[in-house]
Amino acid sequence: MFVLPAAAIFIVFLWLPIAKGFVYSLYHVDFVHGNTFVGWDNYRTVLSDRDLLVAVRNTLYFVGLCLVIGFWVPIFFALAVSELRRFQGFVRASAYLPNVVPLVVLYGLWRWFYDPVGPINAALQALGLDSVAFMTDPDWSMISIVLMETWQQFGSAMLIYLAAVLSIPKDWYEAAEIDGAGIWARIRHITLPSIRNLVLLMLVMQLIATSQSYQSQLAMLDGGPMKATLTYALLIVKYATTKLEIGAASALGVLMFLVLALLAVIRNRLQDKGAGA
Amino acid sequence: MRKLMALACCLVLLGTIIAACGGGGGQKDNQAGSSGGSTAGNGQSSESTADSSGQQEEAPEEVTISIYYPLPDQTEARRLEDDKIRRFQEKYPHVNIVKSDWHYSVDEIGLKMAANEAPTFFNTWATEAKFLVEKGWAADITELWNQYPYKDQINPILANQFIIDGKVYGIPQKGYTTSIVMNKKLLDDKGVPVPGYDWTWEDMLQTARAVAEPDKGIAGIAPMGKGNEAGWNWTNFLFEAGGEIQEVKDGKVTAVFNSEAGLKALELYHRLRWEANAIPQDWALNWGEAVGAFAQGRTAMVIAGAEGPLDQALNQGGMQPENVLTFPMPAYEKDGRHIGVLGGDWLVINPNATPAEQKAAFDYITFDYFTDDYLESLERDIQARKDEGKFFVPPQFNYFDNNSEYGQKVQAIFERYDNVYKYDPESNRLLDGKPEAQYHTQDYYAAMTNVIQKVFSEKGVDLKKELDAAAAQVQADYFDKIVME
Repeated sequence: MFVLPAAAIFIVFLWLPIAKGFVYSLYHVDFVHGNTFVGWDNYRTVLSDRDLLVAVRNTLYFVGLCLVIGFWVPIFFALAVSELRRFQGFVRASAYLPNVVPLVVLYGLWRWFYDPVGPINAALQALGLDSVAFMTDPDWSMISIVLMETWQQFGSAMLIYLAAVLSIPKDWYEAAEIDGAGIWARIRHITLPSIRNLVLLMLVMQLIATSQSYQSQLAMLDGGPMKATLTYALLIVKYATTKLEIGAASALGVLMFLVLALLAVIRNRLQDKGAGA
Repeated sequence: MRKLMALACCLVLLGTIIAACGGGGGQKDNQAGSSGGSTAGNGQSSESTADSSGQQEEAPEEVTISIYYPLPDQTEARRLEDDKIRRFQEKYPHVNIVKSDWHYSVDEIGLKMAANEAPTFFNTWATEAKFLVEKGWAADITELWNQYPYKDQINPILANQFIIDGKVYGIPQKGYTTSIVMNKKLLDDKGVPVPGYDWTWEDMLQTARAVAEPDKGIAGIAPMGKGNEAGWNWTNFLFEAGGEIQEVKDGKVTAVFNSEAGLKALELYHRLRWEANAIPQDWALNWGEAVGAFAQGRTAMVIAGAEGPLDQALNQGGMQPENVLTFPMPAYEKDGRHIGVLGGDWLVINPNATPAEQKAAFDYITFDYFTDDYLESLERDIQARKDEGKFFVPPQFNYFDNNSEYGQKVQAIFERYDNVYKYDPESNRLLDGKPEAQYHTQDYYAAMTNVIQKVFSEKGVDLKKELDAAAAQVQADYFDKIVME
């Protein structure tokens, strides 16, 4: 009985939409005049869409950038903060602060940061460098979004890593110090091995989250310039809302679901392993 | 035992919920029944009205309509609308009004209709007429329209945009011909002469070049470059050069925007970006961002229906009316036509609404049309704005003819107040509105947006090749799939 409310919520808001997504991917969806069964037509439509490859490539690029630019940041900060003897609480709160910035404010703030006469370009020019068109240069637009998202989101991941780091028994470090281990040796031989499973778990979770990203790309650049920030999830959104082809959007969603389900299985395996460790 | 008790509680709760749902439906049925003259029913308001009057058939059916309501930051417009609601409900006390501040969006209308969450009537634009009708998302209001006593006095250019195959699907509110709004003070400060209203592309380009200060983040002109607005902005220049978006012939729609005229228009954009360096360095601006940049003095010119930029510049940007000029779109060459895309606001009634709701919505929309009550309300609003140091920006043209008797009355009110923005008659005379294409206009805009972004990003872009590719894409993806009846 106690499971009933949770099960009802999961059925109505999660499992039913997933099942409906599969069903809709085989239909031409028209909520006013009724749906029509079209077989695999939606899959043929999306697989022949010239934007699909662009979106897949952009998504992989975004996921890769998030790993290269963003993944190590919270680990680095967690290690650094764990070594602090004073002001640790203040630094933790400060690092988490960007997380509570509302998205609308975030986008406005970073549009200003990236402005041709904004603070970042002013700093570049002061250093004698050329200014950068962060938003409109297709080579920079995705990188700019990753930098913004890293700034906003690293705080929460940092707290998770920090909790793991602080749970490592202190006497291990004390023993290492007695044996003459420096800070880097302690991190390399004690801290990193201790949080290895968590790092792997966070890696898979980041892969899943970033592969579904579209909000910043939509709000900041609407997928442009020249589709340079058109991600796979944004393509789904455009199919569903701009083109009003819910069936084709569902087909794209099903394809994505299959890939992400594989990652979810890996994540669960890692989680079990982490729990057992 | 406890499990059985819990199960019984759940069943009772479930039963209550089902009964509540059923009860709602029953009430609706009864209300509908009472309008049909049935004596059965427990709808309290209907019953009591019938008892007191003894003439049950005269009791109007109580209906609730959700109305298109201004956004939270449009405080003056909200005040005007609240006044209208008050007056409307004095005359139609049986109509309950729910305010909806959902404003039409291409990306949201499908979901709104699917979820049955669109208001009883909502605003839309000229491009959407055929789309909404084909989707079945605009009610056929021909019967209500034909009974409307003032229908022949409604501005026919605007009304015709929503009359398709002889059926009426929308009621015009106001219209505009896309214009260029100019910050004269920026020009004066730099000693740049203000061109005449009968200007050309070259005048616009040279003015933009002269006033631009890229190092300070000030652009000469801000053509929109982010979403579909980019294609919409560019289409003005396509029209001025004599081009068309599409050609409908022998039951087939053909993309023709990759014409010589299209190439000229694209060359102008290329020159603005690479030769004059007159557009914002961050050119990925949508309507709000471009108009916002204008109000902040970060661009000397913006391309849009004039009312929005003027309102922002005067009421939020703190500019003075004499420093904000409204120009017609420039002609391609001297003595050419100043064609701008014809736009405006139309109100469309939700086809999911009941006939009684549709009638109430129609009555609400037209409630103030051609009335003295509205004139009084308008004057009160202008006076209130004056007291607050705010300006009133009238639309370029209204649902009524500005030269009609009613139009003259409105004009007389405008003349009495110095906080009403005055369009220059010479500029108005040169305006040359052209309706947008009706087939897949937003898809065409999206395709052209991509081309424009390429023009703004790559100096050596092959303009003709990009135009041809966009036309081929629009043709294959959209126009070839049109089935003409």
